[in-house]
Amino acid sequence: MKNPFLDFQSVPCRKKEIPLERIVRARKEIMDRLSEGYLRLVEEEVKDLVWLVEHSHVVRTYSAAVSAIQDLQYDQDDIEEFCAELDNANAFPYMISGPAGIYLSALINNAAEEHILLRLSEYERTFHFLGYRLPEGKTLVLQGNLGDFIGAGLCGGRLMVEGTAGNWCGAGMTGGEILVTGYTGQKTGEWMRGGEIHVDGPIGGFGRARFGGKIYQRGKLVVPHESE
Amino acid sequence: MIEEKRNNDLRKVVWELYAYIQDNLYLNRPDMQIKGREFNSALLMSLLTGLCEGKELIIGEPGLGKTTSAEYVCALLYRFPLGTIWGSEVSGHPEQTEEKIIGRPDLGKLNKGEEVVVWSHFALLPVKIVDEINRLPETKQSMILDGVDRGNWEYLNAAIINEEYCLFATANYQDRGTNTIVAPLIDRFDVMVESKHPGANLAYFIGGHGSNGVRLRSEELEAEFHSVLSENIPYPVRMKRLDELCDRFGEWLEAQEGIRTLSVADRREIRSSKRSLPFDLDFNAFLRFVVSELSFCHHFGQKRSNEACDAGCHFTGYLCNAVRNCVSNRFPISARNFSQALAWLLGDEEVDLEHLKAVLPFTLAHRTQWKEEVVAQREKEQRSDPLEIYMAKQAVKEMHRRYMEQAGEVKNALAVACRIVEGESMRPVEGDHPIYWEIRRDLGEEVTEV
Repeated sequence: MKNPFLDFQSVPCRKKEIPLERIVRARKEIMDRLSEGYLRLVEEEVKDLVWLVEHSHVVRTYSAAVSAIQDLQYDQDDIEEFCAELDNANAFPYMISGPAGIYLSALINNAAEEHILLRLSEYERTFHFLGYRLPEGKTLVLQGNLGDFIGAGLCGGRLMVEGTAGNWCGAGMTGGEILVTGYTGQKTGEWMRGGEIHVDGPIGGFGRARFGGKIYQRGKLVVPHESE
Repeated sequence: MIEEKRNNDLRKVVWELYAYIQDNLYLNRPDMQIKGREFNSALLMSLLTGLCEGKELIIGEPGLGKTTSAEYVCALLYRFPLGTIWGSEVSGHPEQTEEKIIGRPDLGKLNKGEEVVVWSHFALLPVKIVDEINRLPETKQSMILDGVDRGNWEYLNAAIINEEYCLFATANYQDRGTNTIVAPLIDRFDVMVESKHPGANLAYFIGGHGSNGVRLRSEELEAEFHSVLSENIPYPVRMKRLDELCDRFGEWLEAQEGIRTLSVADRREIRSSKRSLPFDLDFNAFLRFVVSELSFCHHFGQKRSNEACDAGCHFTGYLCNAVRNCVSNRFPISARNFSQALAWLLGDEEVDLEHLKAVLPFTLAHRTQWKEEVVAQREKEQRSDPLEIYMAKQAVKEMHRRYMEQAGEVKNALAVACRIVEGESMRPVEGDHPIYWEIRRDLGEEVTEV
């Protein structure tokens, strides 16, 4: 058939776009890149689908996560949406909690915002390692009941948990503050070198190897104990 | 450069002719403005009709210069003496016959058993005037359909095809002696104009010294024209001899009256440069926009004069809901042809929206059959044009306003459609106007939902 519109071949085409479509597309692009970075991290760091929590291993995974998200523009909403993606069992072929939490921490620590709030209470999956190495000047508010190693290696940031934290909360932290409105699990403050942990609920147990820092329960200093 | 100079020279001749007729022969007021210039619509459209081999219907009250304006334009553009033109005119009346309009058998030859056709001057001359066409009964109007459309005249087994011709027809307003011009015939006219009353002050001068066209007559040459037209010689030979006589009349006019006129070659040159003028994108898009409003019907697929669309239609605000008939394919041809001629006359390098806007009411007025309720709403409004032209002008204004509100979007929709036809994966632009729906239909979409 003859092209009856040929006279308009030279007219530049404007694709009609609803603003929402543009926003959704931009979001999807970011989410794709976040997912891509996470999958690469998992493939590199979790060779046998087993991830052991060793200090050197954690440090290496964090470094890999930071390099995976370099040059990526994202904000708090993207991090929250990525949490939702991680919670969705179909989104990723395999989900290993440790690297996922470290990857999220890397995103939080490198985000442009100084104050970040993540609402995690609705998710079925338990997130570990959130708040890992939270730097000075950053405030992270986590709503929901969390897994192990929350605030591990905290270095100057302020972490507020509106819920509970699992074992090894604040493990190896060097500075900053962790506030937990619920309870914390075993080994709270293990390998702690500085900073403070404030817990409003019960504390399952304290870490035995500690090198500094303070732990308060309902406003009362419990570690170091007066007798220590 | 030389071509441009030649073109300018020809344009100057046409302007001189316009001024000469306006100042001396057809005294009337300007009633339209195009790009800052004032024109009398009847004179301008007649001139354009002559230049681009068009067909014009001139309406008006008796004695307001319908026929004479056409005669002057024909005489000066085609170099025929007025007397020759008068001799070739066909007048519309109930007793008119094919033998008087087209041709008759040569009775002398017929007696000898030979079938030879004596063609009428009307059929032979390139300028054709039908006076009071609406006095021809409907049944006799069909006799001139083919001739009006293609310049193709047939009688017995003989035929002639006019290589160059233009046609002017006049019509009075309805009275007891007039008939309706049948739809196929009226659609063949490119434009319809009204020859208006010039006003009391100009009317005072009409018929005075030098304003009766006597200056366009040469009895000696008229006799020679008559002799060539009456000779039984082959059509091409006759036309060649007529051309020679036309050139002599042109020289005579220049010597006697100081008026420069156009030769056959000049007219051909004008038409050729007119045809080479490109249409700009707005012209192109707006003409499609207009055709879509006048041909689209959501319910029945297209407008048909025997089908009335529903009152609650989604497209109530568009002209498709106000007209009864479907605009014909002759309409865009007329609009393009006359717009190009106007652009040439104004010396513009492109045919644009202004040219189209000026021409559209005259190309639409006779082709649009309005619904009775629409006519009833408008007929009492204050106006200076006859109702058909007034309504066409209002319709063009409305469509132009609608187009200007979405010109970018319409052109984009057409551009997107072009890409889709070329194989790109895109979605057609959706919109409320019939043009978007027509585009989607052309792209093969079954568009039914509103």
